[in-house]
Amino acid sequence: MKTAPALVGITSFAVILLVWESAVRFGFINPFFVSEPSAIALSLSRAARSGELWHNVTVSLREFAIGYGLSVVIGVLAGALAGRFRTVEYALDPFLWFLYSAPLIAFYPIFVLWFGLGVPTVIAMTFLLSVTQIATSTLKGIQSVNPGLLRAARSFGATDRDLLWKVVLPATVPMMTAGLRLGIGRALMGVVVGELFGATAGLGYSISYYGALLKTTDMIASLIVVVVLGVLCTQGLTAVEERFDSWRTF
Amino acid sequence: MFNYRTLVSTITVMAFLAVWEFAPRAGIVDATFTSQPTRVVAAGLEIIRTAGFLHDVSVSLSEFALGFTLAIAVGVPLGLVLGRFPVLRYVLDPPIMAIYATPHLALLPIIVVWLGIGMQSKIAVAFVSGVIPILVNAMAGVRGVDGSWIVAARSFSAREWDVFVKVILPASLPSVILGIRLGLSRAVLGVVVAEMYQSQAGVGNEIMRYGSEFRTDYLLFDVLLVSLFGLTATSAVRALEERLWTAGE
Repeated sequence: MKTAPALVGITSFAVILLVWESAVRFGFINPFFVSEPSAIALSLSRAARSGELWHNVTVSLREFAIGYGLSVVIGVLAGALAGRFRTVEYALDPFLWFLYSAPLIAFYPIFVLWFGLGVPTVIAMTFLLSVTQIATSTLKGIQSVNPGLLRAARSFGATDRDLLWKVVLPATVPMMTAGLRLGIGRALMGVVVGELFGATAGLGYSISYYGALLKTTDMIASLIVVVVLGVLCTQGLTAVEERFDSWRTF
Repeated sequence: MFNYRTLVSTITVMAFLAVWEFAPRAGIVDATFTSQPTRVVAAGLEIIRTAGFLHDVSVSLSEFALGFTLAIAVGVPLGLVLGRFPVLRYVLDPPIMAIYATPHLALLPIIVVWLGIGMQSKIAVAFVSGVIPILVNAMAGVRGVDGSWIVAARSFSAREWDVFVKVILPASLPSVILGIRLGLSRAVLGVVVAEMYQSQAGVGNEIMRYGSEFRTDYLLFDVLLVSLFGLTATSAVRALEERLWTAGE
C-alpha cells in the first residue's frame, strides 16, 4: 500500500516532463523561455563530461559544508549554553530574535565590504542564515526536558554526566535534529543566493551566469541540480530525524 | 521592579550598541565598514527626506501586496482542495515537495528572464515565496481535521459542501493562518532580494546601491526598515492567530 503514492509521484513527474517536452515540440510554447527536458538532459551530460558540473557542485558543497558545519558547532554550543544558563538565554534572546526575523540576505552588500566577493562571503551568508535556526531548536529542545525526570534521576543518585546522557540528551536530540534539518534548507538558500549575487563558481553562480546570457537550457539544468541537492539533503536529515525519534521520552 | 529577563536582555543590547558606537571612535574598527548606531539614525533621518525614498517604499509595498495577495488567493483554496482529495494530492505532492525543498530564491534568474526586471518579476517572486508554505499548511490543516466530525456531520445529512464550509474550513483555519504567517516573512524577503538582484526601484534596489557606494549607515537603515516591517506584519498575523485559537476553544 505504501508504494502506491511513490508510484503516483513518479508518474506525476513523468507526465510533467512529457507535457513539457511535447508542448515545446508541437510549438505551443517558446523553448527560449522554458527550454525542454531533452535539451536540458543534453546540457547536463555535456556539463558532466566537461567537468563543469563537478566543479560547480564541489564549490557549492564546500561552501555549504563549511558554513553549515560552523553553524552546527556554534549553534548547538550557543543553544546548549543558553539552555543550561538562564542568564545566557536572556542575553542571547534579543539577538536570536532579530536574526530570526531580519531579512538577512539584505546584509549581503555589507559582507561583500567585509570579506570581498566570493567564497568567504557565501560562507558567511550560509552560516548566518542557518545558525539561528539551530541555536533556537537546541535551546527549545533543552527546555523541553521534563524537570520532574531530572529530579527523579537525581534523587536516585545520578551524577551530572548521567543526567546529560540519560535524561537531557534523549529529550533534546529529536528537537535538535529538526532544527538541523530546517537549518539545511536555510544554509542551501544562503549558498545559492550568495552565489547568485557575486561569485566566480558554484551552482548559484552558474544559474545567474546563464541567466544573464539568456541561455535558458543551461540555467534550468543548474536549477535542477539545486533542486535535487535540496531534496537529497532534506530527505537525508529526515532519515536521521526518524532514527532519533525513538529517543523521544514522551 | 524589573524582572531578571528584561534586565539581562536590556543590558546586553545596550552593551552591543555601546561597543558598536565606541569601537570605531576608539579606532579599533573602521566605521566605513561597521557604521555606528548614531550614524544609522542620522542616515535614516536623511533618507526619509529624500525624494526617491517614498517612491521606493511604495514600489516595494505594492509588489509585496500584489504578490502576497495572489499567494493567499491561490494557496489557500488549492491547499484546501488538495487536502480534501487524496488522489489529487498524490499527483501534485511530489512536485510541491520538490519546490518546498528547493531554495526558492534560486528561481530569481529564470523569473527575471520570463518577466523582465520590472515590477512583474518581483510580484512573481513574492508569490512563489509565499504560496508554498500557505499551500502546504492549508493542506496539512485539512488532513488534521478529526474524521469523526466529518462522519458526524454526514450522519446528520450534511452534503459535501456543508462539510467543507461548516467542518473543514473552521477546523483548518488555525493551520491556514500559520501558513500565511510563514509565507509572509518569506514574501517580504523575496521582494527585497529580487529587487537586490535586478531592479529599477524599490527598497532592495536602494540597499544594493548603498552597498556599492560603501554607505553602510544608509544601507543598515533600509535593512532595519525592512526588518521592522516584516516583524510588525508577522506580529499582527500572530495576534490574529492567538485570537482564533482562543475563539475556537
